[in-house]
Amino acid sequence: MPGADKETDLTERIEAFLADLKRGGSGTGPLRGSGEMARETTYLLRRITAQARWSSAGDLMEIIRNEGRRMTAAQPSETTVGNMVRRVLKIIREEYARSRGSSEETEQQESLHKLLTAGELSEENFRQHFVHLKANVIEAINELLTELDGTTDNIAMQALEHIHSNEVIMTVGRSRTVEAFLKDAARKRKFHVIVAECAPFCQGHEMATGLSKVGIETTVIADAAIFAVMSRVNKVIIGTQTVLANGGLRAVNGTHSVALAARHHSTPLIICAPMFKLSPQFPNEEDTFHKFVSPHEVLPFTAGEILSKVNVHCPVFDYVPPELITLFISNIGGNAPSYIYRLMSELYHPEDHKL
Amino acid sequence: MSSRGGKQKKGNVTSEQEEEEQPLQAVLVADSFNRRFFPISKDQPRALLPLGNVAMIDYTLEFLTSTGVQETFVFCCWMSNKIKDHLLKSKWCRPTSPNVVHIITSDLYRSLGDVLRDVDAKNLVRNDFILVYGDVVSNIDVSQALQEHRHRRKVDKNISVMTMVFKESSPGHKTRCEEDDVIVAMDSKSKRFSMVTDEFEIRHDLLDCHISICSPQVAELFTDNFDYQTRNDFVRGILVNEEILGNQIHLYVTQDGYGARVSNLQMYDSVSLDMVRRWVYPLTPEANFTDQQGQGCTHSRHNVYRGAEVSLGHGSQMEENVLIGRDTSIGANCHISNSVIGNNCTIGDNVVLDRAHMWNNVHVSSNVEIHQSVVCDGAVVKEAVRLNKQCVLAYNVVIGPNLSLPEGTVVSMHHPEEEEEDDDDEFLSDDQEVGHSKDKTRQKAFNPAEVGPEGKGYIWKASMNDTEDEELAQCLWGLVLNPDPESDSESEASEESQDRTFQLEVLGTLQRGLEENIVCDNLVLEINSLKYAYNITLKEVMQILTRVVLEYPFQQQGTQLTTLQYTGSLLPLLKTWSPVFKNYIKRAQDHLDCLSAVEELFLEQDTHQTAMVKVLMKMYQLEILEEEAILKWFSTGATNDKSRQLRKNQGVMRRMSLWRKESEEDESSEEGECGR
Repeated sequence: MPGADKETDLTERIEAFLADLKRGGSGTGPLRGSGEMARETTYLLRRITAQARWSSAGDLMEIIRNEGRRMTAAQPSETTVGNMVRRVLKIIREEYARSRGSSEETEQQESLHKLLTAGELSEENFRQHFVHLKANVIEAINELLTELDGTTDNIAMQALEHIHSNEVIMTVGRSRTVEAFLKDAARKRKFHVIVAECAPFCQGHEMATGLSKVGIETTVIADAAIFAVMSRVNKVIIGTQTVLANGGLRAVNGTHSVALAARHHSTPLIICAPMFKLSPQFPNEEDTFHKFVSPHEVLPFTAGEILSKVNVHCPVFDYVPPELITLFISNIGGNAPSYIYRLMSELYHPEDHKL
Repeated sequence: MSSRGGKQKKGNVTSEQEEEEQPLQAVLVADSFNRRFFPISKDQPRALLPLGNVAMIDYTLEFLTSTGVQETFVFCCWMSNKIKDHLLKSKWCRPTSPNVVHIITSDLYRSLGDVLRDVDAKNLVRNDFILVYGDVVSNIDVSQALQEHRHRRKVDKNISVMTMVFKESSPGHKTRCEEDDVIVAMDSKSKRFSMVTDEFEIRHDLLDCHISICSPQVAELFTDNFDYQTRNDFVRGILVNEEILGNQIHLYVTQDGYGARVSNLQMYDSVSLDMVRRWVYPLTPEANFTDQQGQGCTHSRHNVYRGAEVSLGHGSQMEENVLIGRDTSIGANCHISNSVIGNNCTIGDNVVLDRAHMWNNVHVSSNVEIHQSVVCDGAVVKEAVRLNKQCVLAYNVVIGPNLSLPEGTVVSMHHPEEEEEDDDDEFLSDDQEVGHSKDKTRQKAFNPAEVGPEGKGYIWKASMNDTEDEELAQCLWGLVLNPDPESDSESEASEESQDRTFQLEVLGTLQRGLEENIVCDNLVLEINSLKYAYNITLKEVMQILTRVVLEYPFQQQGTQLTTLQYTGSLLPLLKTWSPVFKNYIKRAQDHLDCLSAVEELFLEQDTHQTAMVKVLMKMYQLEILEEEAILKWFSTGATNDKSRQLRKNQGVMRRMSLWRKESEEDESSEEGECGR
């Protein structure tokens, strides 16, 4: 029976993805970039849409929500996965509404009236069966995929507006987006980049090699030197792992000190973050906020006797409060941190914030 | 996902086409074949003992699965039903599991060797496979090692049969088990495990992870050599026969990752702590990799993990490295550090836990102190009990109230005698049927002095047999950490006994030589072969030889000889055997060594001290000893009072000076004769 075959194939794929997520990021944070992670999640969600058994939008949303819950539980620090699930849920809502002929736009507006009337037409609304819904949803997910493919380029395109000649730029660690951003600017402008190495993983070294290969003048500094060097810096451009709902960041360790140093010297702090990193999570959700990995990088296992006498921790992320941030550059343009809430409501349906 | 899969396939097709067709296999031995965890493992097989509230075998399976193993054979023997039940319920046996688990049980497995022979007999493995025990906790990525192994096999035409995974960790690391301490000699270039090669390095900074990548030949070799019981036997066998069979063993040394085998309770303690301290990331408690409902927990600062529905009383502190299972409640004013507490436990007020390992359903009353101890399922610790270091409370034991258990106490519901009774077939396996003797146990009364007025349980006696092996096996916590002088003396003792047998052999040889009139050259040949057989240094050979010859008259005619008789029978012997001596005494140092041997003997036989001068003179005349050496010995050799006395002995001195004059005359005359 081909149907059953398909289904086991699907569950196998989901399990494999979950296992991957759980194992993901041994050591240096996510092994794959968030971009790739977002794409993989979306591919999987498209497959679920195509292969799972569902008759109405409500069923499909339930399936996706269930799987999404498991995926986010598997690796809570990887918010991109949850974000993509929410995006797909929103797509289904929109497609359903379009099939019904009503416009989703009005429904989405948060208003007192809506709050009062909410509840009566939530889930059962989606019970109606439409023939073309599946095709439409898949079509829309494909659009989302093309959008994902273009994010880095879209961000990099804006580089020339932000980086001027003979500027000194500081960045921390390695971010694929920032790397592309700087490289794009280097095609026309000449500038100097200072990279904080970002111990203990020292992804900064990798970043510096990448930049110097395309002829950008690059200096690597130790994390301790960030404050000392900051006075010479014109702009700080960094990437992030997640943009939180309040406009703050969850970024690699050391970012907070960079942000504080930049604030002290009134240096603008610019964040390059594609839209899929925007998460409805707030920084107060303590359990899932942090990620501690094996302390091997801090004090190697070979150190021997000392290890039984000390506690070694190796946290991966820093929280950067929104008031330290000057500007977000996303694939749809530049935004102030105070505008994040607005983007949030555009991207996700309020009911999906909690999966 | 799909793109990744595609890429992988492509890469494999180009590089290793034949391997790609066959899935990676693993053999997991879910039995330890020893009794290190007795009496705990009497009720539960070792592989199912919880480490961080997850059965140890789950760590091993997760490790295998994450390295890409697609087919695992789990071999169980002791309590195989329990292991089977556990696995059938776990996520490994779900149809979607990427790692297909086959469970093979038999009561006949007595060692790793039996398992591998069965692997060979059933023809289970078709390709290189990973061999691990069911109590290995690791996150090492062995794919690199696997690649190296395959590469070597391709290049060297299947010479390399095994690659063992080692982790770098300097001596003194607490996760280095004292018994498992290995010193490895390896060829620095090819990383070959070797005895002696031209260029090799000796490393003492390696931790044996007990993970080996084996080729199918390994199973065959075990079949061919039915005396191989353990992996150590195998490694030794391969190394000894390396030149004959051409098989080699290689090492893979890794710096990253974590890998250790829980081989005793001390290792259990440190591996458990390492896990809580996140060394085994991503196999951390909050990851819930076994995917079991309700096993999830949260992780907060200072490595504190809390399961669902944990309640913590007022004023209680979880200081650091604490893991608490679901539905556990903790009373007020407790101090908990470096501990793991299982599910459904209740802990009273004012309890101090440090390095405590509590399993499920444990009840601890108020005012209890527990230090570095293991408390198994269902145990009850009553009021004001103190468990000192390295205590073990096995299943369902009740302790207290008002009791302090001394260090290293093991309390179990099994009476130690019951063990002895059905212990007739002494195999080093966990394989024992205990059920039938249960009734007997009930009848024996509990000793309130041992377990407290309301206590239930018996003190488990550590050693029941005299053999050293057995003692080791009973020692739950592993060997004591300080390097014990005992073992040194033991090795000396064994060496001494070896010297003794060598001495007897030499004596026999000389005797025969005398009786059958064998040429001295042949005697030398024989002694040389003995030297190799007993692995004795040249210096010792010479000393023993001297001793044997000088004692020879005593051997033959009893110890009641007068000095005159003694010298009378000895001097001709010295003459006959002088070529033998000359063969061994060549350098100046040899002369001195020989002299010291002579001295030693005459110190023992103090009634015959006067004979010494004659012996020395004879030896000088026979050109066994040089004059210079004798003089040097005479002037400097006095090392203790007795020997000084020997030398200062009036008679000896007089004779000695006499003899020296004589010898000088001799020399001059000899010089005249031979023209030297």
